[in-house]
Amino acid sequence: MALLPRSSRTRRRGADGDRMWTWLMLPGTLWMTGFLIASLVLVAVLAVGTTDDLGNPRFGFDLAGVRALADPAYTEVLARSLGYALLTCVICLLIAYPVAYTIALHGGRYKHALIAAVVVPFFANYLVRMYGWSVVLSDDGPVLRALRAVGLADGGTKILNTGAGVVAGLVYGFVVFMIIPLYAALERLDVSLIEAGRDLYGGPVRTFFFVTLPATRQGAAAGLVLVFLPAMGDFVSAQLMGGPDQIMIGNLIQDKFFQGQNWPLGSALTMLLMLVLLVGMFGYLRRTRKDEAEARR
Amino acid sequence: MTLLRLPSSTAPARPAARTRTRRGRADRRPRILIALTGLFFALLYLPIAVVALFSFNSKKSLTVFGGFSLRWYRAFVHDDVLISSLGTSLRISLVAMAGSVVLGVALALGLVRCRTRLGSLAGLIMLVPLVTPEIVTGVASMLLFKGLGVALSTGTVMLSEITFSISYVTVILRSRVAALNPEVEEAAMDLGATRWQAVRLVTLPALLPAVLASAVLIFALVFDDFVLAYFTTGVDPQPLSVRIYSAIRFGLQPTINAVGTLMLAGSICLIALALFIPRLFGRRGGLDILSGE
Amino acid sequence: MDATPAVRLDGVSKQFGDSYAVHRLDLDIEAGHFFSLLGPSGCGKTTSLRMIGGFSDPTEGAVLLAGEDVTALPPNKRNVNTVFQSYALFDHLSVADNVGFGLKRTGVAKAELRQRVGEMLELVQLSGLADRKPRTLSGGQRQRVALARALVNRPAVLLLDEPLAALDLKLRRQMQVELKQIQREVGITFVFVTHDQDEALTMSDRIAVMNEGRIEQCGTPEDVYEHPASRFVASFMGTSNLMGGTYRGGQVALDGGPALPVGARPGIADGTAVSVSVRPEKIWLSDFEPGMSMLSGVIRETVYSGPTTTYLIELAPGVTLSVLEQNTARARMEDRWSGGETVEFGWRPEHCLVLA
Repeated sequence: MALLPRSSRTRRRGADGDRMWTWLMLPGTLWMTGFLIASLVLVAVLAVGTTDDLGNPRFGFDLAGVRALADPAYTEVLARSLGYALLTCVICLLIAYPVAYTIALHGGRYKHALIAAVVVPFFANYLVRMYGWSVVLSDDGPVLRALRAVGLADGGTKILNTGAGVVAGLVYGFVVFMIIPLYAALERLDVSLIEAGRDLYGGPVRTFFFVTLPATRQGAAAGLVLVFLPAMGDFVSAQLMGGPDQIMIGNLIQDKFFQGQNWPLGSALTMLLMLVLLVGMFGYLRRTRKDEAEARR
Repeated sequence: MTLLRLPSSTAPARPAARTRTRRGRADRRPRILIALTGLFFALLYLPIAVVALFSFNSKKSLTVFGGFSLRWYRAFVHDDVLISSLGTSLRISLVAMAGSVVLGVALALGLVRCRTRLGSLAGLIMLVPLVTPEIVTGVASMLLFKGLGVALSTGTVMLSEITFSISYVTVILRSRVAALNPEVEEAAMDLGATRWQAVRLVTLPALLPAVLASAVLIFALVFDDFVLAYFTTGVDPQPLSVRIYSAIRFGLQPTINAVGTLMLAGSICLIALALFIPRLFGRRGGLDILSGE
Repeated sequence: MDATPAVRLDGVSKQFGDSYAVHRLDLDIEAGHFFSLLGPSGCGKTTSLRMIGGFSDPTEGAVLLAGEDVTALPPNKRNVNTVFQSYALFDHLSVADNVGFGLKRTGVAKAELRQRVGEMLELVQLSGLADRKPRTLSGGQRQRVALARALVNRPAVLLLDEPLAALDLKLRRQMQVELKQIQREVGITFVFVTHDQDEALTMSDRIAVMNEGRIEQCGTPEDVYEHPASRFVASFMGTSNLMGGTYRGGQVALDGGPALPVGARPGIADGTAVSVSVRPEKIWLSDFEPGMSMLSGVIRETVYSGPTTTYLIELAPGVTLSVLEQNTARARMEDRWSGGETVEFGWRPEHCLVLA
């Protein structure tokens, strides 16, 4: 009892204290809350709002925007976007795995330089890169010319203005997000594990499936999320690589805000996109948590 | 590679064994994997090379190369609209860099050290931009400014870019702060520094390489960003990347090839700089700057 | 000597959640002493040190430095300095700037600062390295920088948190001697945290042995080693033959073994479960003296380790004693016993401790 006042006195000072750290944290957090969280809430509110004649947002409660989402025209776009994004994920995984594997395990002392060479172009301007890619994939571009030369394509084969073109754009845009986590996982991989695998399972193929692949599953999962998120929200690839039949949800959103001026519908579409992504994120988090629980056991 | 990592003491003693393992490794080098990786790199750099090549084209064509010329660079230099856009982009990048680095470094320090519930909430908020596609952030920012009755302008782009960039700075710096030895700050206080002086005199200098690297990175990211800028910019002046977007969409002038090439070269230099900065300070440089790991 | 202790902990506790890292600690450290806090990891010794240094708030109790209550003062307002386990050097500053950091904070004039830093670097034999960056130094050199950086401020008390733990054995032995010399030279109170009992025994004026947040025993090295106050101290300090048994009328009946005469212990009631402790080096195998407690047992193991040989002698099934013998010329291994032989052994009664 006698000790109570003394202990409360020492508490106040807080040598383990958090006060300064809280103050440091506050401006950034308030900024993010004010600009980002508030604006996301605003999108949700506007999804059920209306606009006045000038197109300025008005608050209200009108489910027209949300109800319009059920329109087959929009569900088709959503389904297509999902399909493109998932296909992009799979292709990115198929490309990134051998590349990351080769660099991490056979890169030797050029390992760091090689992975830097993968990363650097992805910080170059996205639009310019995508534009260059569309030139490369164009009908007279080097890729189609090479394919025609080896007989894998004829004069009528097109990549641009097809779904394949859009997916190729998305893959080119975001494959780095798959390579980095895979490379990190493969680099962390204990090489003695592989050697032990050789002892236990014999062949390199069996070793790969029983040792290497399970050890890099978390990296692949992270990569899938990192590719899925931007691929789902992209609108540049569909614009540059695709035609009118290949538009994605991002193009719809852009259209509703810039041409159509239907902001409630645009907001509703944005919320729908967020919802899809949240479901994806949630699945990923559950998966990794289960993996971690298993690893602990 | 694995077999080459013999303990150094055994290597000089047994040169025969060493050559044997080296040959053994070469035999098992997976040719298919290396060929695939080579193809990947070729396709990765081909578009960039194409843009760069045609920026030096003497013809207006975007498919046929007519000979080397600097005419599109000259055209860019004399294009007042593009030059003013360049200035706008530079201003936006500088302001966003300064703002997000100050806020982000403080946030990173606070997040790592502050173990209150507010701290974990702030950590969650900080992650939101990283899991939100840019189009959503762009739409949301635009709606916020419209809702507040703020006319879209260069200023609104700056505000949005800062918001988005804080997360990057924080993610990069957070792992650095966490890796710092807390005893170093305690040592400073032990030697008479106040808590704030300890941060200023000891912690911030220790973080300096990472802070500089993240600043360079943010500059490059903001300069190249177009989605956020596209949604939050006013009509005039527009950032360079928004101009490029319009140009690409509505019939391309070859001038854009020249601008694009300059931007590519600029970003690549900046990224290389960001990767190199830690080495200037005698630290292990590297990609962890980019991934925040 | 000043009657006011340099450091006093008055009923100090530190709670993390429900568990106590330090529990109601009372401790006086005399000025000018080399004082060690010794214990296994997690015993609360570092937490105690951090509370003296001001890096950790006691949940209850008070910390007094030279009689003044400093419980509420931050580290920078306490006249103590710390040598951290990791050394915690400032990597962006030169060795001289590291050492001068504290003086600069307190506003010492430039000329005096330079002079004091120079003297201190000389004391720790680093004069030639003043302009180097800590990163380029060896472990032992970094350790000296940390020591110089703290000592140059002439603190009333120097706190050392396992400063030698990161050094290899040979360097550690050398630094032990040096540290003790420096302490004598500067006359500052050292509070030294360690888990290494050899280190504590060789360097300290006094040792507090800690376990589970409490002080088990506090005394001179001889006290703590020769007269351990508890089972924990007896087993933590060096090796002890600890045998469980029941005390009855001047004898302890060992569990599963014979009864040992231990003399009358007025403090212990008949029928109390006790432990009997005899140090291996206190057990004689020859040249017995009158009045010794004598026993016999079978040699089960002989472990030769250079200067000494250790015998494991089975007194009764399940009761084994370890006996240490110097390998002097008259006690060469081949002259001695081998496994299976029955030997006589004994100890002076005062070397047999009964621990309740």
